[in-house]
Amino acid sequence: MNKMLGNKKAICFFTLPTIIVFTVFVFYPILQTAYRSFFEWDGLNTAVFTGLANYKELFADDLFYESLKNGLIFAVILVTVQVGLATLLTFAMMNHKIRGKRFFKTAFFIPVVLSVTVVCQLWSAIYNPEFGLINNIFEALGISYRQDWLSNMNLAIFAVTFVNVWQYTGYQFAIIYAGAKAIPEDYLEAAKIDGASDWKVNTRIILPLLKDTYRMCVVFAITGGLNAFAHMNLLTKGGPGTSTYTLTYMTFRNAFTIGEFGYGCASAIILVLQCLLATVIINKIFSSREDNL
Amino acid sequence: MKQKAKTVIITAALLLFALVCIYPLIYLLFYSLKTNDEIFFLNPFGFPEHPLFENYKTAVSAFNILGYYKNSIIVTLVSIAGVMVLAVPFAYGTTRMRWKLKNTAATYLMMGLFIPIQVIIIPLAILVRQLHMSNTYFALIIPYIAFNVSFASMIIATSFRSLPKEMEESAFIDGASVYRSFFQILMPLVKPAIATAVTFVFLGVWNEYTVASVFISNDAVKTLPVGLAAFTGEHSTEWGAMGACLVMASIPTIIIYAIFSEQVEKALTIGGAVKG
Repeated sequence: MNKMLGNKKAICFFTLPTIIVFTVFVFYPILQTAYRSFFEWDGLNTAVFTGLANYKELFADDLFYESLKNGLIFAVILVTVQVGLATLLTFAMMNHKIRGKRFFKTAFFIPVVLSVTVVCQLWSAIYNPEFGLINNIFEALGISYRQDWLSNMNLAIFAVTFVNVWQYTGYQFAIIYAGAKAIPEDYLEAAKIDGASDWKVNTRIILPLLKDTYRMCVVFAITGGLNAFAHMNLLTKGGPGTSTYTLTYMTFRNAFTIGEFGYGCASAIILVLQCLLATVIINKIFSSREDNL
Repeated sequence: MKQKAKTVIITAALLLFALVCIYPLIYLLFYSLKTNDEIFFLNPFGFPEHPLFENYKTAVSAFNILGYYKNSIIVTLVSIAGVMVLAVPFAYGTTRMRWKLKNTAATYLMMGLFIPIQVIIIPLAILVRQLHMSNTYFALIIPYIAFNVSFASMIIATSFRSLPKEMEESAFIDGASVYRSFFQILMPLVKPAIATAVTFVFLGVWNEYTVASVFISNDAVKTLPVGLAAFTGEHSTEWGAMGACLVMASIPTIIIYAIFSEQVEKALTIGGAVKG
């Protein structure tokens, strides 16, 4: 048995290909990004070591702060609206009197399986200032409230965020609802027999038991918000002006549009540190709550 | 009476939210069958008066939709195959085999679950160029395999770990080699986990936009998500045909979801659970 399962050749045969592919295409590039962030480099010619110059440039760049601000707006809205809505939907679906649960679940989840391109193209049609669904609805209701949703400096970031909320609330809901369903019925029944209202059962029993689920949903929403790229790129190309830039957008622009690969690596590193920091803070908040319970 | 009113209100709220989720998709389906006049002025909201299947013909003839489809299918199938060829043996090697560093190897690969692609994409772009893979299927397939192998092997490893030791013992006593015991006895037993992993990789790769938008500029190798993204500027005047393209691009994932809805929800939410 040991001889069979300790066969060195077989072990290499099973595991080495994966380790090589992962090392070359994931692990090595991480080290490269960190290393190259200290260089002035266009990706082609010899790189010149410039120490912290890229980071200094970044911290003096107005675009960096605008991107950071948009990432935070995105993240905060995703956390509050997405997780909040998903929670309310879960409460509603935990009610025994509600019929058609399979239908509701499917309806909420369908946008999740669509590609972000399809969703964004559809929503640019819906937002279209002349012929779009939203402005047509206002028209039909007799309200003169035409907006150019995606070209308005102040509105654009919210219009873009809304599309993400629309697409992925069902995802957060699926996670939270699965968690709530896994709570033993006895817990909930016992509370009801003691005379607790549905709302009390939801907020005092279900919510505290789902702490780990929520920790995950919040981390997911915040890092997803900070990392945002696809929705911006597809709906607004970062515009109007730079009003929907995020740090990922800036990273890609630095590297692939203006060809400053070293500078791009520096913003990528800051992006990762920011996500790590957010994750640590969220874990801190959730574990300090634990002590209070 | 109060209870009844409450049920009605909750149901109404759920219906409203379901409408917000679904109506935009119905709107899309409808406008893919309308003329511009009907979409813009005559009948923006409702069922198409004279369903115009012409739009789908235009989508196929005027846009390169079939080309993008072909590319998406090739990239997705090869990526899924590649991920499984790597992940299934790796999961076996790090759960059933006996060697000192097996946990280290498993943990090393798990790192991949926590790495945002933004942090590797710049060096990866250069690597792809150095390997002369720019604007080929491999520029997408190789990164997709590398990104997905961590998750797939984790799911499958969980399943291998749950099988009893006796499975191999009896195979070895019967004189089977370790390879045969893997291929013929153990692997068939983890099929459900492999199915979950395949579903996850399929949806992820079929819908992937970010990497494809950076690595692919040649129209001949664009997958659906990047190919469709280019339409806005060029063809913004032909809404119906545009809508037809979007509908066609979504059909495979919708069908998979319709057939395997529980499976898809499970695959995607486990993915999130791990990444959190």
